[in-house]
Amino acid sequence: MLRGFYTAASGMMANQRMQETLSNNLSNAYTPGFKSDQGTMRAFPELLIQQMNQTSVPTRNGGLNLPTQQQIGSLHTGVYMQETVPKFSQGDLRETGIETDLALLNGNLPDENGFLFFNVQNEAGELQYTRNGNFTVDGQGFLTTNQGHYVLDDAGNPIQTGGMEFDVSDNGTINVNGANIPLGLSYSPNSFDLEKGGNGLYAPGENAVPLVDARQGQGINFNIRQGFVERSNVDSAQAMTEMMNTYRSFEMNQRVLKAYDQSMQKAVTEIARLG
Amino acid sequence: MNRSMIQASVTMGQIQHKLDIIGHNLANTNTPGYKSRQADFSSLLLQQIDNLSDEGINEAANLDTANQGAANQEAANQNAGPYRLTPDGIRSGAGARLAHTNIDLSQGNLQKTDRSLDVALLEDHHLFQLQVTTENGLETNYTRSGNFYLNPLNNGQMLLTNADGLPVLGEDGEPIQFADNIDGMHIRKDGAILINRNGIEAVEAQLGIVEAIRPRMLEAAGNNRFRLPDNADIVGDGIIANADGQVQSGTIEVSNVDTSKQMTDMLMAQRAYQFNARSISTSDQMMGLISQLRS
Repeated sequence: MLRGFYTAASGMMANQRMQETLSNNLSNAYTPGFKSDQGTMRAFPELLIQQMNQTSVPTRNGGLNLPTQQQIGSLHTGVYMQETVPKFSQGDLRETGIETDLALLNGNLPDENGFLFFNVQNEAGELQYTRNGNFTVDGQGFLTTNQGHYVLDDAGNPIQTGGMEFDVSDNGTINVNGANIPLGLSYSPNSFDLEKGGNGLYAPGENAVPLVDARQGQGINFNIRQGFVERSNVDSAQAMTEMMNTYRSFEMNQRVLKAYDQSMQKAVTEIARLG
Repeated sequence: MNRSMIQASVTMGQIQHKLDIIGHNLANTNTPGYKSRQADFSSLLLQQIDNLSDEGINEAANLDTANQGAANQEAANQNAGPYRLTPDGIRSGAGARLAHTNIDLSQGNLQKTDRSLDVALLEDHHLFQLQVTTENGLETNYTRSGNFYLNPLNNGQMLLTNADGLPVLGEDGEPIQFADNIDGMHIRKDGAILINRNGIEAVEAQLGIVEAIRPRMLEAAGNNRFRLPDNADIVGDGIIANADGQVQSGTIEVSNVDTSKQMTDMLMAQRAYQFNARSISTSDQMMGLISQLRS
């Protein structure tokens, strides 16, 4: 039996999915606050192959056949893309000179996988998190993300700027018209728990460690820069290289598949040839 | 169609829009009082692709460890999902899109022209008023562009207009007009227009200068003008207020477009376009490989 047929096919499918992830990273190479996705490949669980044999035991009536089993080793049944993990690392800052652009800079964080986020509200009124500080002011004077989601203050309310000019201090306090509004910032001790949603928003997954207020937590340092945005942390050169790699891997799997096809062809056309 | 091709082609269309905006900025490098615009991207929606369920993986993991010994089994039990770091499923994006355009309201450089009808506003967010005739009657528009002209009217009067021929409003909210036998004119620092007739100088009009208290509420009306949005919750007075402006005559505020920044942005956008194009051609070659399977 040609078991490798499906192994090669699954390799092609996994590589195609990998390509989708890389292509999405490249598309978002200039999206502020975007965190690149890393695809992880995983082998399908191994199968144990056992020998199914019969052993003859000599008996008086001429013999008894007993089935015996013997392990002969394991077989991989292919590969699939297991998950995409966003790479949470600080992006570079880019100066825009526009006062509604804010960049969040991580300082010292207590956890290895910890990460800081702006608090925003999605269409359904739920609390979500983002790193895209490319904000704007809407028609009613509220500070919103570039998709129109409200940016929240530390009490969870939308921030009313009244369309006025405002200054943001390093510690994230918006000074507008004499009032000081602290921006809502959250800290996730394990950022891998977060589920990536559309429009650069993140939501905590089902079993996530709850996010904490970044101002209350111990040993959390951050910095807010006004007039800057955080660039995407996609490395185009790396993404391109991985893409080439994935392509070649896809090609090799295709070759293997063809080789199997040729073996099958031999079986069909040559083995049964008469004369 | 291949998902990565969709992602890349969608993004290419959006990058094209960014290039349009950069092109518009570069085209207005020499427009007096022009404020540059900047476009930023946002990632598009994500689609969850359900993968092998967690239970399946855990069972498999237990199966693995069962063969390796009891010690590992314990380790596997402690760590419920040993192979997953993230929530279930694969979230696959659909590319990027242009999110919004932001206006850079910073002041442009001042250029000396020695033309007495060129006036530059010296303070941020100060604006000249123009009278525009629309379908709904007269409307006041605002501009930073101070290259004015005098247009003769039929009744022997001269009308102060902007480069498009729209009347410039004075302090009283009326178009500024003078009798036409003018020997010379001069605009003072406070916006008063001094007219010289037979060697005698007198203030005959005052430029109406307003301050935008909420500059981001103003809506671009084209031709380098701004207007009050129709649906603003805050009344006009809250957005615009009269101001004692400081002006400089014989000077013009040039556009605040930074050509080197625009060129850099253009190069970046073009490269992004190329990367996405490459992503499409790679996907296409992969499709080619699939079709070659049966050759």
